[in-house]
Amino acid sequence: MKKILTLLVSVLCTLNVFGQSSMDYSKVNTVTQVGDTLIVKYQYFKGTDVNGNDMPDATLYQFDIQHNNKLLDVIENAWQPTSNSSQKAVNTWNGYKFTIDSEKDQTDFDGQYLSWLSGDATYGTNADWSVQRVTYQDVTSLSSGDEIMKVSYKIKDKANSNYTDYTNLINVNWANYKEADGTQIDVTGQSNIGLTGIQGGDAGNVSISVSSNVITNNIGDGSDFSYTIYAKGDTQTPLASGGFDAAGDATVQGLENDVEYDLYVSIDSSKEYLDNVVTVSDLALVFAEAIGAGNSPNGISTTFDYYLQSILANVVGTSIPAGGDINFDDSYEILAYLQGVESTNTTFISKTNDAFNISGIKSTFGDEVNGIATVSPTFKPTDNDKSFQFAHTLGGDVNFSHGFEPTSTNADIPTSAQSTTTQRSMMVRGAKLNPETANLELTSELQNGQVVLTIGSQVTDMIGAQFNITYDKTRLVLDNVVFDTGNEMTNFSNHLEESGKVNIGSFDQNFETNIKTGTPYKLIFIPIVELQNTSGLITFKVNEGVKADGTQIKFIMD
Amino acid sequence: MKKVLIILSVFLLIGCVKDDDILSPIDNNIVDVPESLVISDLQGIKVESTIVTSEVKMNVKLPYTGTYRVKIRDIGKELISQEKLQANEGDNILKVYVSSLENNGYTLELTDNNHDVLGITSIVVNN
Repeated sequence: MKKILTLLVSVLCTLNVFGQSSMDYSKVNTVTQVGDTLIVKYQYFKGTDVNGNDMPDATLYQFDIQHNNKLLDVIENAWQPTSNSSQKAVNTWNGYKFTIDSEKDQTDFDGQYLSWLSGDATYGTNADWSVQRVTYQDVTSLSSGDEIMKVSYKIKDKANSNYTDYTNLINVNWANYKEADGTQIDVTGQSNIGLTGIQGGDAGNVSISVSSNVITNNIGDGSDFSYTIYAKGDTQTPLASGGFDAAGDATVQGLENDVEYDLYVSIDSSKEYLDNVVTVSDLALVFAEAIGAGNSPNGISTTFDYYLQSILANVVGTSIPAGGDINFDDSYEILAYLQGVESTNTTFISKTNDAFNISGIKSTFGDEVNGIATVSPTFKPTDNDKSFQFAHTLGGDVNFSHGFEPTSTNADIPTSAQSTTTQRSMMVRGAKLNPETANLELTSELQNGQVVLTIGSQVTDMIGAQFNITYDKTRLVLDNVVFDTGNEMTNFSNHLEESGKVNIGSFDQNFETNIKTGTPYKLIFIPIVELQNTSGLITFKVNEGVKADGTQIKFIMD
Repeated sequence: MKKVLIILSVFLLIGCVKDDDILSPIDNNIVDVPESLVISDLQGIKVESTIVTSEVKMNVKLPYTGTYRVKIRDIGKELISQEKLQANEGDNILKVYVSSLENNGYTLELTDNNHDVLGITSIVVNN
């Protein structure tokens, strides 16, 4: 008996499966972006029995659709049948979501309808969902496959919602198909419509940061930098701009996901430390390149460690990407700058009120492409990537004293392309230009009514040195600079009287002779007020030397 | 007689003076030290005001006459200015000039000529 019952149930179930009509709903078009219009068609399919015969026709077609109103906005309900005898209605309730009768399948649409009538399935309040009830009635039955309605939905930005994806957007809750005599028709269908791969939309908070030795070495801080964002390829119409915080971080809003942008970092050009960007160390690197590798970076050898240095050192003349070269024009231009000689050339030497910014994505900063260093300003926020690191450096800053030294392996010039006298590739990446240190003594004192600054050095292997001195111009007048550096040295003294600064130094362009030890430099000032002592009257900022191989010497003063 | 009386009076006046006043050695470095710059220790450095605009008085109190250094260091302890001076034992009222310093905090360091620290204090420049 038990077997008979089991068999009967199985047959009934089979009959049920084969006999159901369906409420089919499916996407008409392909959508990929926030703001696109998604069209969904709601379609009637007549069921068949086990023998393949059509089930009875329906004259009432009623179903409830719910959609996530945080992710979709209904913009049109378009009836598809053209019968003049039909009656049609669409009712809408916002803020409700259907709770199915869990004893039945979700796609048992007629069963869920009956459960809703009996209270076993209910509508509860839910601000994220809206319900539309579609009712179509006609004396003439629809044919199987006829579309009842097409609904157009606009895809909204999920950034404004609590949802992280678009995988559950539309459900049919129940369906009530009836024959002309009121007989309920079994209806089934699919559980939901969702979307994947939707791009665009508000990217929300996008984090950016800037790296520079200005920040790392406490020359200034991150708030000295600002950013400007453009649509990719544009440099005319900024979409967003702002400043970084002291740590070099910023949060940008108003960007869209999956859209490419170009970001450029600038430094506050009014900062006085920019006068210390290009120094004798940079000069030595450029001279060495001009002497030893005239046809670099595309040529046989170079003295540089990074392709980017060819861009930074090319302070005058044709740009490197345009086929330029590092030559004596560049080195003498820097020497003239250090000497305070006004140049008639257009130069790319960064200094106060004249900064030449170079920035790009940190991880690829200075990467070589076809023998030339490149920097990429382009970034693209996505759902999974909203944090971007940028690097910044300055024109003329060949030793990266105020810029970011590349860390990408693709930014390195291969050892095989380097001059054997300057290879530093065994050093730690990103620290090839780390300076050495040496002790030096700078003291001021009153001598016979004059204020004398003496620079004492016992460093024996310097082919260049530079000291940027600031003095109290309200109390002192510079009277004389005395050099005792040796006969082969080219000495320079750049007196910026208005700002109370004097930059002095020496450099052997042949890289052969070292600066004399002892007291190579002496500055003599005349007091214009009565002085008992000199504390604070003279301060020193840049104090550095350079060796024949271009290694910077940072002076430690006692 | 009049002359004898005058001489006697002089001797009487001398007799009224305390012995200490007569026996004290002559101090060659008599400095009028403002109360704000008094240093109770035998050596050290003290400024009249921590917040400084343009200049400030400082007292450099030394154990003996000789060559000393006053060093100014920035927040990272890097030396940015150094004066070498000849000064006397005891109090020496000098000045620190800050017009060429950026607004910031600094330390003032008093050392002997061999860089041994004798005293240290701090200033804040607010030009």
